Amino acid sequence: MTASTFVLADPTKCIGCQSCEIACAVAHLGTSITTAGEMEAPFQPRLRVVRTSQVTMPIQCRHCEDAPCANACPVGAIVRQDGVVLVKEEKCIGCKTCVLACPFGAMDVVPALDKGQRVRQPGLKVQTDEGAAPKERYVAHKCDLCIGRPGGPACVEVCLARALVLVKRGTMARSVKSRRTASAMQIARSGVQPAGANR
Amino acid sequence: MCALNAFVVADPNKCIGCKVCEVACAVVHSDVPVKTVGQMTTPIIPRLYLVKTAEVTMPVQCRHCEDAPCANACPVGAITQRDGIIYVDQEACVGCKTCMLACPFGAMEMVPYYRNGERVKQLRLTEETGEGPVLQDAFVASKCDRCIGVEGGPACVANCPKEALRVVRPDELRRTRNLEAALAVLESVKNVIG
Amino acid sequence: MIYIDQELCTGCRSCADVCPVDAIVGEFGQPQSVDQELCVMCGQCVQVCSSYASILDEGIAPREQKLAERAMLPSVKEPLFAAYNQGKALKVKEALADPDKYVMVQVAPAVRVAIAEEFGMPLGSLAPGQMAAALRRLGFDRIYSTDFTADLTIMEEGHELIERVTKGGTLPMFTSCCPAWVKYLEQTYPELLPHLSSCKSPQQMAGALFKTYGAKVDKVDPAKVYSVSVMPCTCKDFEANRPEMKASGHQDVDVVITTRELAHLIKDAGIDFASLTEEEYDRPLGLYTGAGTIFGATGGVMEAALRTAYEVITKKPIPELDLEYVRGGEGVRYATVQVGDLELKVCVVSGLKHVAPVLEQVKAGTADFHFMEVMTCPVGCVSGGGQPKALLPKDRICARTARTASTYKHDGELRHRKSHENPDIKKIYKEFLGKPLGEQSHHLLHTTYTPRRRDA
Repeated sequence: MTASTFVLADPTKCIGCQSCEIACAVAHLGTSITTAGEMEAPFQPRLRVVRTSQVTMPIQCRHCEDAPCANACPVGAIVRQDGVVLVKEEKCIGCKTCVLACPFGAMDVVPALDKGQRVRQPGLKVQTDEGAAPKERYVAHKCDLCIGRPGGPACVEVCLARALVLVKRGTMARSVKSRRTASAMQIARSGVQPAGANR
Repeated sequence: MCALNAFVVADPNKCIGCKVCEVACAVVHSDVPVKTVGQMTTPIIPRLYLVKTAEVTMPVQCRHCEDAPCANACPVGAITQRDGIIYVDQEACVGCKTCMLACPFGAMEMVPYYRNGERVKQLRLTEETGEGPVLQDAFVASKCDRCIGVEGGPACVANCPKEALRVVRPDELRRTRNLEAALAVLESVKNVIG
Repeated sequence: MIYIDQELCTGCRSCADVCPVDAIVGEFGQPQSVDQELCVMCGQCVQVCSSYASILDEGIAPREQKLAERAMLPSVKEPLFAAYNQGKALKVKEALADPDKYVMVQVAPAVRVAIAEEFGMPLGSLAPGQMAAALRRLGFDRIYSTDFTADLTIMEEGHELIERVTKGGTLPMFTSCCPAWVKYLEQTYPELLPHLSSCKSPQQMAGALFKTYGAKVDKVDPAKVYSVSVMPCTCKDFEANRPEMKASGHQDVDVVITTRELAHLIKDAGIDFASLTEEEYDRPLGLYTGAGTIFGATGGVMEAALRTAYEVITKKPIPELDLEYVRGGEGVRYATVQVGDLELKVCVVSGLKHVAPVLEQVKAGTADFHFMEVMTCPVGCVSGGGQPKALLPKDRICARTARTASTYKHDGELRHRKSHENPDIKKIYKEFLGKPLGEQSHHLLHTTYTPRRRDA
């Protein structure tokens, strides 16, 4: 079993401060937060805080075992590597089929950056009243669990309300196991017998 | 940052394969206004294509890719983005079919070129035949333009009798799905805590 | 006959949704076929079918072959769809080219409010004069109108109704102009056939007159007369070929084409329809009243019959000519009309799929009306299976509304609006037929019906 790890927020704890979004964006710039403000790079977090009257929490990729985004991608730009569902940006054509496929809205398509700078497309031009200008390259964009970052996911680390947790394979297994035990104990203690059990 | 390009997509669970979308597409793109079958002097040339196999029935059309491979592959710059639409300038197209090779969806097609209900001929290109050189018909790349400028939006969506087609605005879709996902988590937390 | 091209059908069954007799057979997603025994040939499937022959599909038979299979003119450019009716335009073209044939044509009321659509004019454009001009350019020797025999039908059917009501005949009486409805009754409710008016449809009355009275007027040998009918209907060909339709001593109607096929013939001959100036129909069999022309719309036969029956019974002019209460859309309508001392109760059924509950009432003896009009197509002949086919579903609805409006506009603008006031109707009774329901009428204008039970 190689079930993927993922980050999940607890809506009862999240205060909607959006620190996670900022931390995510900065972590992926490969620079420090102090210099990030001076860069021209767009703000591109890989998780998004939902804030409505009903619920407040960030949403990000679940790293699905059968990732619909990857299964829908026409050019094989979404792969799994060490349990992390990743976008191979160089292959992406910006078709948005992954956006259509993801049931969480965890997929986005954003301008591609090379060393903090936007990249021009070789052929595609945008026609406007002012004439034609090369279009910037866009790529699919999603949570990569801060792969390679020593401190693990930046969103988890930065959350003051401790609303974000890294749900690991072990965490899941222990939780499910303890629920099974609790369920069995409940049946045993209450003396409930399934129908036909005392034949 | 401007919005991502919208696109039309079909629901294979609703589609009955009637091809009304294809007919409607051809009707709105006809440069001669047509209302009845008898008025048509051209074949029906749609810009979306019904796929019908044992497993799936639905039309397929362009996704208006942000990095449109068709456009990046076009040697003459005939494919550009205008108002969020990946658009073919049919006058500029040379019929090289590279865009057909590039598109991973099969949304690109090479079709006979009609103007005012008449076949457009080549400028000089002739075919050598037994009876001498014959001026050839022109072909052009053809793809979904999301019915740019058509009142009521894409004709395929507006005319589908089963409401199987819809316009997807990726940014809106993502926000809606985010909210649904958050509500689902809220529900699951209630079960464990409550 | 209606067919579905197996190569083109995708099995969406949109046709089955509009078929009033469940004659479309096949599994969803598989090519469908038509149960010819059940089919009433109304052609609504032809109107609704959207599965066309694509130029991108290399696996299907070439267009030339499909045109030949459908007996369409090779010059036809329009796209082809899976559901179609077998054409007869080639036979008409052949007859027109034959110097030995004296070709007479009749055109049904609903054709004049639709034919212009095929030449780029707005949906429902009224073009009787341009159509007459086009028919003359095509080389027809006599340009007649089925609207004339619609007037004649009113004379016969109106008197038949009065006789049944006053002398105690089978009631309620049903109209018999719609061949699809007649076939349906023959195969589904044969026990109710005595309720059908014995009047032939206007098409068949015209056919019987072309080779008798018409030949006499023009002093031509009836054997040389070739009788062509242009109809909005895909079932009229079936009616013309019923074995009993030989009252003139010849085949009364030799060939029937649809509105669409007439447009094909006009285009084939290179006639620029839109630029034609209006011309008149020939007399005597081409002069018609408003009552005759509203036969093309639901409620029209009823309205025309009431305009005449009222005046025949009361001997007074009818106070209001526009009988809005019998007009309308798809479905069943009832009305009560005070005609002198008689409280005449009528029923109008538009769309064959609505008729069964009414017929069950008639069978049970609970139907409370004297006279029922039934038209198979959704809003009458203007929405017939042989009419110009709208490309988009919304235009199909627009076309119905516009054609109906033009029908009533034409009625309002004609010099005479009551069948019994048509001067050439008066003349034909005086010179040839005698009186309504008389001996000559009985022989030429009335018919009998055949029960058809489906083998189990």
